[in-house]
Amino acid sequence: MIRLGAAVLLAALAALPVSVMPSPPVTWLAAGALVLGGAGVIARVVPLVTAGASLGLIAYALALVIARPPMNAVGASALGATLVLLLALAHFAGRVRGAALGPGVVAGQLRQGLAVAALGGGAAVALTAVAVALRAALPGVALPVVVVTAALGALMTVAGVIVLVASGGDPSAPPGR
Amino acid sequence: MTWRPTALNLSFLTVAGWALLLAVLTGRAELAIVAVPPIVALVAGWRAAPPPVWRMERRLSASRLLEGECVTVTSTIRAEGPLPLLELLEPLPARTRLAGGRTHAFFTLRAGEEIRWTFELRGSARQYLRLGGPHARLWGPLGLAAAETHHRARATVAVYPRLAPIRHLPRPLRTQPFVGNYASAAQGEGIEPGDVRPFAPGDQIRHVNWRATLKLGTLHVTQHHREQNADVVLLLDTLSEVGPDGETVVDVAARAAAALSGAYLARKDRVGLIEYGGQPRWVKPGTGRVQRERLLDTLLNASVVFTYVNRDLDLVPPRILPPQALVLALSPLLDARFVRAAGDLAARGFDLVVIAVSPVAAARAAVPRTPVADLAARLWALERRAQLDEHRRRGLTIVEWDGTEPLDAVLAPLRRSRFRRRLAG
Repeated sequence: MIRLGAAVLLAALAALPVSVMPSPPVTWLAAGALVLGGAGVIARVVPLVTAGASLGLIAYALALVIARPPMNAVGASALGATLVLLLALAHFAGRVRGAALGPGVVAGQLRQGLAVAALGGGAAVALTAVAVALRAALPGVALPVVVVTAALGALMTVAGVIVLVASGGDPSAPPGR
Repeated sequence: MTWRPTALNLSFLTVAGWALLLAVLTGRAELAIVAVPPIVALVAGWRAAPPPVWRMERRLSASRLLEGECVTVTSTIRAEGPLPLLELLEPLPARTRLAGGRTHAFFTLRAGEEIRWTFELRGSARQYLRLGGPHARLWGPLGLAAAETHHRARATVAVYPRLAPIRHLPRPLRTQPFVGNYASAAQGEGIEPGDVRPFAPGDQIRHVNWRATLKLGTLHVTQHHREQNADVVLLLDTLSEVGPDGETVVDVAARAAAALSGAYLARKDRVGLIEYGGQPRWVKPGTGRVQRERLLDTLLNASVVFTYVNRDLDLVPPRILPPQALVLALSPLLDARFVRAAGDLAARGFDLVVIAVSPVAAARAAVPRTPVADLAARLWALERRAQLDEHRRRGLTIVEWDGTEPLDAVLAPLRRSRFRRRLAG
């Protein structure tokens, strides 16, 4: 059931780039994302799901570059929220493998995931609104600001990955092992 | 107990990083927006406050079991504060199987809520089944942070060898003066009728045999055989063992010793035990339920202890190994020291029966099935049969048991042959 939910989210993630630009390169990339992520969902391997999600993002970026559609902030926020839910569900499916689940565990996790995803989506929409307001106030500055912020964010994520890997020991491994 | 980030953080950082990198490369703001929810989730999943307190109590349905029986472990978990997700894992001890429930569980508890976690364990071999307590892990939102601890609630369950019923017990050749179930050759009080002899002053009227009296014309009385018990000493060979864990020849011999001791004690015999191994231990012959518990406890600890020190059965005090006792030796007869000790006992006039537990089947179970292994097992079985015949020619009473067929069936022919020997003796 948990994996079915993750599979549906993955399908939605792969379908979005194709809906933006149904061209062969985008479709092939989306199909690759679906296969890779699907294998991760079935085998409950989060890194595979992450790779599939990243490939889906690349397909989405390619679709945006080729099609050059008008900006869709809500769709992008929904995609971000879908990514959060997909990764959280895949991780949860891996953790509870072969375990007994007490009453309300799945419902509680779903509630929690939806709340965080909604919070993220809401934050994205709010930030977009702020950015639109800023663009109106400071015309011509928006793109460099976006680029610099994104570059800084990318650098920080790389730093975060390095810190996490260097800290060693994965507490999400089965307990007591 | 402190929060630590999990590997899921890496996944969130990866997708956020990809989104931001692609935003820089393509100059599309949508991709930067895609990165916002994962970053918000990372912030929301960050835990700084100490994990909530929870308590756990554990109860076991039994502290003593027989092999194959189950013990139910019930844990009651009570949350002092809200627990969004609590993961518990009780490592399964060796030689134990899960009979019901799960040893790995997840729970969600509100503040003050209490929940029960139950699973059943089956002790598949004799042992002290030790439970160390579950490993617990508290999960933060979305599984982005986790706090781990080990709940120390140690408990021990004694898993005794299973007791198979034995009806055809080897009958002791000699009895003891205490009251028991064996009709001895000596005359005295009892219910088993013996000889008929002329009445003598002092004889009781109730012993008068009226049929013989009327036939012979003078008063005759019926004598009775005294009913006595016997001393039985179980000699367990722990000098060597072969076979898979839990099914070694020592395990099989311990199972047989438990069954034999139970059967002899039920017949009011005094039963003792000598563990003949690297570290000899013994239990003085005795009767009753306490003695049964004592024997089972000793059998529970019986194991092979390697030592260079050679100990002999001469060291065993006579009160542990009474001269009139029936000695039942349980051994695979792999170690020459045990064979020598058994030969010494027989030469000293002990009533000795060797139950030779076959190591071939046990060793066969421990190695993969291949034609070479099959051939080796057959050759070993033939060689072993020749060795046992040699021991029999030297005067040892030996019955061979492979550990799988009922011991009762193996001992039944022995009962007949010993009865003939008793009549002849």
